[in-house]
Amino acid sequence: MITVNGSPHPWHDGMTVRKILEEKRYTFPLLVVRIDGRLVPRSDYGETTVPDGADVDVMHLMSGG
Amino acid sequence: MPKRLSCDNSKCIACGACMTACSTLFFKVDDPKRSCIRIEQNGPEIDMSVCNQTCRLCVAECPVKALTVSPQGVVMLDRKLCVGCLACVAVCPTGAMRHYPGLANPFKCIACGACARKCPTGAIGIVVEE
Amino acid sequence: MTDTGFDVAGLKASHRPVSEFRYEKRPVVAGYNDRTLYVNVGDGRIAEKPVSADTRAKFTGGKGYGLKLLWDAVTPATKWNDPENEVNIATGPVGGNTNYPGSGKSIVVSISPTTGIPIDCNVGGYFGPFLKFSGFDALELQGRAERDVIVYIDGDEGVVKIFEAPGEAVDSHVLAEQMVAMFARDENDRQHISSVSAGSGAENSLIGCLNFSFYDKRRKVARLKQAGRGGIGTVFRDKKIKAVVVKYSSLDVTSNNPADLAKLQETGLKLHREIIELDDQQCRMREIGTAHLTEIMNEYDLLPTCNYKFGSSPDAEGINSHAFSAIVTHGLPDGCWYGCTMACAKAADGFELATGPYKGHKVTVDGPEYETVAGCGANIGVFDPRVVLELNFYCDTYGIDTISFGTSTAFIMECWENGILDSDRTGGLEITWGNGPAALELLHRIGRGEGFGLVAGLGVRRMKAYFAEHYGADPKFLQDIGCECKGLEYSQYVSKESLAQQGGYSMALKGPQHDEAWLIFMDMVNNRIPTFEDKAEALYYFPMFRTWFGLQGLCKLPWNDIEPADNASTDEPAKVPEHVDNYLAIYKAVTGNDLDREGLIRQSARVYNFQKVFCIRMGKGRRIDDLPPYRMVGPVTVEEYESRADRYDKQLREQVGVDPSGMDTPAKIAALRAYREDRYEKLQDAVYKRKGWTREGIPTIETLQDLGIDYPEVVEVVKPLL
Repeated sequence: MITVNGSPHPWHDGMTVRKILEEKRYTFPLLVVRIDGRLVPRSDYGETTVPDGADVDVMHLMSGG
Repeated sequence: MPKRLSCDNSKCIACGACMTACSTLFFKVDDPKRSCIRIEQNGPEIDMSVCNQTCRLCVAECPVKALTVSPQGVVMLDRKLCVGCLACVAVCPTGAMRHYPGLANPFKCIACGACARKCPTGAIGIVVEE
Repeated sequence: MTDTGFDVAGLKASHRPVSEFRYEKRPVVAGYNDRTLYVNVGDGRIAEKPVSADTRAKFTGGKGYGLKLLWDAVTPATKWNDPENEVNIATGPVGGNTNYPGSGKSIVVSISPTTGIPIDCNVGGYFGPFLKFSGFDALELQGRAERDVIVYIDGDEGVVKIFEAPGEAVDSHVLAEQMVAMFARDENDRQHISSVSAGSGAENSLIGCLNFSFYDKRRKVARLKQAGRGGIGTVFRDKKIKAVVVKYSSLDVTSNNPADLAKLQETGLKLHREIIELDDQQCRMREIGTAHLTEIMNEYDLLPTCNYKFGSSPDAEGINSHAFSAIVTHGLPDGCWYGCTMACAKAADGFELATGPYKGHKVTVDGPEYETVAGCGANIGVFDPRVVLELNFYCDTYGIDTISFGTSTAFIMECWENGILDSDRTGGLEITWGNGPAALELLHRIGRGEGFGLVAGLGVRRMKAYFAEHYGADPKFLQDIGCECKGLEYSQYVSKESLAQQGGYSMALKGPQHDEAWLIFMDMVNNRIPTFEDKAEALYYFPMFRTWFGLQGLCKLPWNDIEPADNASTDEPAKVPEHVDNYLAIYKAVTGNDLDREGLIRQSARVYNFQKVFCIRMGKGRRIDDLPPYRMVGPVTVEEYESRADRYDKQLREQVGVDPSGMDTPAKIAALRAYREDRYEKLQDAVYKRKGWTREGIPTIETLQDLGIDYPEVVEVVKPLL
């Protein structure tokens, strides 16, 4: 189990940042992703794996309005 | 089709005569930062940078149609129409649309050939592509 | 559309001069003229007024100037249609520069027909900058003419004229073309003309908008941007003003006479490059404008669907950004002011109208922007992009606010669904969910001021009263589902799952528009502001920060619809710190004055609190006026609850501490409602405290003193309430 934005989310082996975004349906383009406080560059979402127990923060910025 | 400068950097010796010719002609000063053509020497490499007159992204970006293509295929700026937004400078993929801080309008090469005439090695020429 | 159909000479011959005023032309100095223009269309007076040093220091410009002039013009008893009410238009000191994207905004203020308090709109187009460069930091329009007039400001010659204009069109897409044809010497001169106009719908409803024109040289069309909210177009037509036109022909980088042009250019160029490099991977503003949001809002359950009952629809694909991208013209520099490379003012060209008085005409339709897609689309159950575009076109040309029209129509459709309305009451219109032709016909009837159109054009608050009084509808149910606050219709986001946004909407001074704060992601998705104090801090910072755009003549979009490549690694990415620093830099480059982040907030806080006191002075602005309808807070109906039953049941268990098993749905709705309404009240307490207001929402004397706006007439308003 990992935590995504403060809520529990099931973990699986080889889970990448991109996979989390897909599972959470986070389709917004302006995201800031941190794993245990460490920033993950946008270009690395596909390769960066997330360890079990990680605290993942997917900050959505604002746009529109 | 486009009339433009041709640059052969194997012949260029980075003497700067072209930049002097250009900035003196258009701005009455000898200042490479006010030249439409730019020569930069990076170690053994010499970069010659000038508008190729072909991509025309600046023409599409200009909100006041101050940038147009002349019958000879040269991208020309009408300073009377220009409002100085510099969108053309930002959109130029080669940096050949120039901006000098504090000057109202951008500027660019119009393939007049003044620099080519001063080039001592024949590295610069004028070509008209068919 | 070209001028070929217009008999310009004939129109001119029908003009009757009312008055004329000549003024001395002077250059702008570092973003300011330090004078404003007063025009009374009732008695023909035209005058220039100096701006005092104190007014400049305290009110900064833009919305600040507009509100100060309006305050001085009205009394607590002034109604929207009293002649002393004004329509005031101003850009700010930074406004009108051609270097930094989003710098061409005008801010319009008036006493609103639907709320009775000051309304403010931030609108694009060329008018505000041209007005400033013609010599005036703001324009005050007062009085009421007996017959239709046009006000013409010739910034080239230094002359202002009022003349009766019986022949010109009222609807904006025709009138704006007539104005460029009438006042431009030749094709190239057309871009030097900008007009403000409303339309026939603004005459016949309370939800009228203003159209600000900007001539598009490539399309050869006078395009329109809207000051949409709160019925300013209605005030404008009540004054019998057909158009206010400005001409200014010498625009260049010296027009605004910035203190440090090189710095302004450098900062603008940095943002131009950022937009050109990154926009296609970020918000695609250059491709499709704010309409990129539709599918995002649908995905996050935030797209208002069927009067905000739901936040998404399986049919939303029909109106997503790709549907409109296939219709609008691409590759044009679609800025609504020069130098805006964000270029979000998209337009569909050659659009053939299927209904109404202009049926068969091929027109350029501006937008649609996200708000229009949601309001005139999903929220009324319409998922056909051509219907959305046609509603957008007719709303604009009739001078009707697309947001208020959408939210009002959504309310009407839900009333129909609940048997409150039927075809007898609507004059034969079957105004059911998704009935695009009926929505269009309703709009045409608003435009003509006919039958049920007259009722619909009153807006949601007055319809609630009307339906209760005339049709015996349950006032409590109408209050729950009618999405207005203070008399203004909500804009187009579902705020049910974000307490902070509920506050952002209903504590917004002018009414529930999202331009003070949009906190849904920060609150609901990111879980970043969990406590009341956290939410209150966000509801302090963002409204203050965003007020600043309106003081300066700036657009909000280039602040956070594009972000620097390294924004993620900054301390507070949501604030986009580099862009905040850009604003401080361009403010200094234009005015020559230093400004830091704290000073920026302070400039805003002065005007924000002044506006708050102004609302109180006009009889609103109390705690009770900040209460939202329950539809914007939680599920009103069984259908609504059950559509998200898992979510709500979980909340009952985990947050409310109630076991939902064994409860029927009405009982669950009641339990959730009690919890959510209590939390909203607690939020009010926290926000008012953070803003330096009493528990009743009244700014304290200390707050006013600290901001330096403790003028006797301001203190006099709040004193009896403290």
